[in-house]
Amino acid sequence: MKLKLKQNREFGILAILIVVSTVIGLNSSAFFTVENLFDILKSNVVLGMLAIGMLLVILTGGIDVSVGSMIAAVTVVVGQFLVHVTGNVVLAILVGTAAGTFLGVINGILIAKMRIPPIVVTLGTMSIIIGLTLYITNGTWITGVPDNFINFGRLTIGSFYRQGDDMIGLPVQFLFLVFTAILTWFMLKFTLFGRGIYAIGGSRASAQRVGYNLDRITIFLYAYEGFIIGLAGVVHTSIMRQVDPNAFSGFEMQVIAAVVLGGASTLGGYGSVFGTILGVALFTVINNGLILMHIPTFWQKIVVGIVLITSIGFDVVQKRYWENHTTKVDIEEA
Amino acid sequence: MCGEPKWVDYGDEESLAVAVVRRERKGMNSNTFLQISKISKTFPGVKALNNISLEVERGEIHALIGENGAGKSTLIKILSGVNQPDAGAEIYIEGKKIEVMTPLESLRRGIVVIYQDFSLFPNTSVAENIAITTDIENGTPILNWRRIRSSARAALARLGIDINIDTALGELSVAKQQLVAIARALTYDAKLLIMDEPTSALSKGEVELLFKVMRNLKESGISILFVSHKLDELFAISDRFSVLRDGKYLGTFGEDELDDDRLISLMVGRKIEYTVYPKRKCDDKVLEVRNFNKIGNFKDISFVVNRGEILGITGLVGAGRTEVLKAIYGINRQDSGHLFLEGKEITIGSAQDAVRHGIAYMPENRLREGLVLRKSMADNIAITVTDRLVDRVGLLDRGKLRDLVEEWIRKLNIKPAIADMLATKLSGGNQQRVVIAKWLALNPKILLVDEPTNGIDVGAKADIHKLLRDLAESGISIIMVSSELPEILAIADRVIVMRRGKISGEFDGATATQEEIMNKAILGVRQQAAS
Repeated sequence: MKLKLKQNREFGILAILIVVSTVIGLNSSAFFTVENLFDILKSNVVLGMLAIGMLLVILTGGIDVSVGSMIAAVTVVVGQFLVHVTGNVVLAILVGTAAGTFLGVINGILIAKMRIPPIVVTLGTMSIIIGLTLYITNGTWITGVPDNFINFGRLTIGSFYRQGDDMIGLPVQFLFLVFTAILTWFMLKFTLFGRGIYAIGGSRASAQRVGYNLDRITIFLYAYEGFIIGLAGVVHTSIMRQVDPNAFSGFEMQVIAAVVLGGASTLGGYGSVFGTILGVALFTVINNGLILMHIPTFWQKIVVGIVLITSIGFDVVQKRYWENHTTKVDIEEA
Repeated sequence: MCGEPKWVDYGDEESLAVAVVRRERKGMNSNTFLQISKISKTFPGVKALNNISLEVERGEIHALIGENGAGKSTLIKILSGVNQPDAGAEIYIEGKKIEVMTPLESLRRGIVVIYQDFSLFPNTSVAENIAITTDIENGTPILNWRRIRSSARAALARLGIDINIDTALGELSVAKQQLVAIARALTYDAKLLIMDEPTSALSKGEVELLFKVMRNLKESGISILFVSHKLDELFAISDRFSVLRDGKYLGTFGEDELDDDRLISLMVGRKIEYTVYPKRKCDDKVLEVRNFNKIGNFKDISFVVNRGEILGITGLVGAGRTEVLKAIYGINRQDSGHLFLEGKEITIGSAQDAVRHGIAYMPENRLREGLVLRKSMADNIAITVTDRLVDRVGLLDRGKLRDLVEEWIRKLNIKPAIADMLATKLSGGNQQRVVIAKWLALNPKILLVDEPTNGIDVGAKADIHKLLRDLAESGISIIMVSSELPEILAIADRVIVMRRGKISGEFDGATATQEEIMNKAILGVRQQAAS
């Protein structure tokens, strides 16, 4: 499918990404080093995965502000499991994704069956999940993750660069991002479920009229997002090798910002996995570049806020323009 | 300022109504696709359909005609299974009796409605819009894009049109989106297409293309039932015409049995069941609208309103009447044009400006736009004048508020007279009065009302008519938009008719007839001059 509008957007983001990268590269020699790039990659795999999950929600015109609390809860569950039961990687993934999916289903049911707006539901579940997580952990870190899990987190694919004793290669966590991206891309493009997500975002009333099961799609969508959050929780634990229950407070803002930067419309219907990946890359490069250029970190927040309002504002203004310029009365010309 | 009241005798109106010619009922022949009879539909307080019969043959283009509110939409909703008819209805499709018509059953039998909004997805491709419905029906989990694309291409080819199936639907013109909606109907294996005002948003060339497509479909044996108000188009394409009036079926006619005049007299012969008030001649100009224009809304609109008169604006839904009212009130600004209040030019850029100049507006959907349903009657009435109800410190003076509210409850006879009653608990007619009270509390010079009696029962309508007439007598000028001709003739001193964004006629409320008005509403100036 060639959808002009969508492709233009992605092309635009790619162009901005190249320009921004070039500017940063010219100002900081440390930016375009293999070491720095792998570093960026590793530290943003989780952001990328969560952004892809968030994309599905935003495509339907919804929003999920509970992602930060959900991944915090997942990491706590996974951390406890690793410390007290076993360091087995596969089992940890199963436990993590089960926990994430469970939380996602709760969001989905509340949104679909009770017809509560997504922002209200997820604000509520966010608060509940944070509260429970802090109650269980007392706010303290979980340490003592078994060695075999830590070793898994250190795996790399190939080795490109030697620095002292450390082999620098493509981090294993990157595979999880690739897996999430491909699975989600396939689902959005080749399954009825995925097309239903676009249909709901395009026109909810039409989606219902042509026979999509809106409730089922909504619940499955939040469950799938929860699954990705679970996976990301395991990946995060493998990177950090310990669990900080407060690590993700406020993280939902970054996730939403990255998705919107990637060209997804908060009004629903427009956005793609590819665009979202570009959005995450742009977001990451801006942050990393500002650090390398020794610009105080509060500027990151200011820049992200401005970009967010600009791109959402553009969508809303464009929509209003369309509505005002659609002919209501066909005036007869004499 | 106004002349002596003049009573008019409308006793003739009934004899004007053309005797209804019912075609002899043919027995069911094998060429009949749809046959319905004894279809009635009662909504609370209104009988929307009353014993309707209709037959649609295979491969015919069948026009459904009637005034606004004649029952066309309700009939379509029954055929598509959205609404259930009252008990006793009989629906036969291809000779088989349908016990309960549900949306799914209707679709399975090949009845596909193309809604005015098309029910399409602007953010997906033409191919997907046309052909994914098959997958939805079958519940195919994994899609085959090759099948979707080829099936979309085949549907478009059957219509004989060429649209790039990979384009995002939102980038197409309205006319092409409509063709996509028709192509999608074909993938449902449609045998009867129902189209509601399909030409309302199309240019002349686009209408030609649509008609070509409709004829192609007809050739291939598909029936089309379509609703339109544009008589020239109706005559250009339809094989037969069925006329509804006031929820009743007046008959089905062949092309050769009808012409413009006859069709109009069939449509309008509605009885006036309201008190007809004496009309006055007023000549103290209060408000003048001069050359109002707005692209896509209205063109060359000029008229005056005198003190103490009711000016009725009528025409078909979508003729631009509401848009003009909203322009005067400042919430749908005109591109160009001048507005004069008592001889002085004024500029109204917002509703606040309008209120300051003594103009009040009562919107069409009183529930959505005019009332805060979950607030008390008192709060609703006082909402426009809270700034006048404060004490010296600037806090709301409950005593003043109560006095004001009780005054209006008494003046407008709102029942029950309980100021703290929630607006949502009032009956339709009383809700309407609360909205009127709210605006009258401002002491307006000019009151704009849009369909003031839409959706309320006959008794409440009569009350509202009396109220509006009393207000006019007291010196307020009223501009009333209404689709209901009997209502216009009952209370308007003068009548302006709009058609497709322009004023097509102006009448004296004391002497105008429904037929004259409908003629201007449907045919406009051009055809009038030709005949």
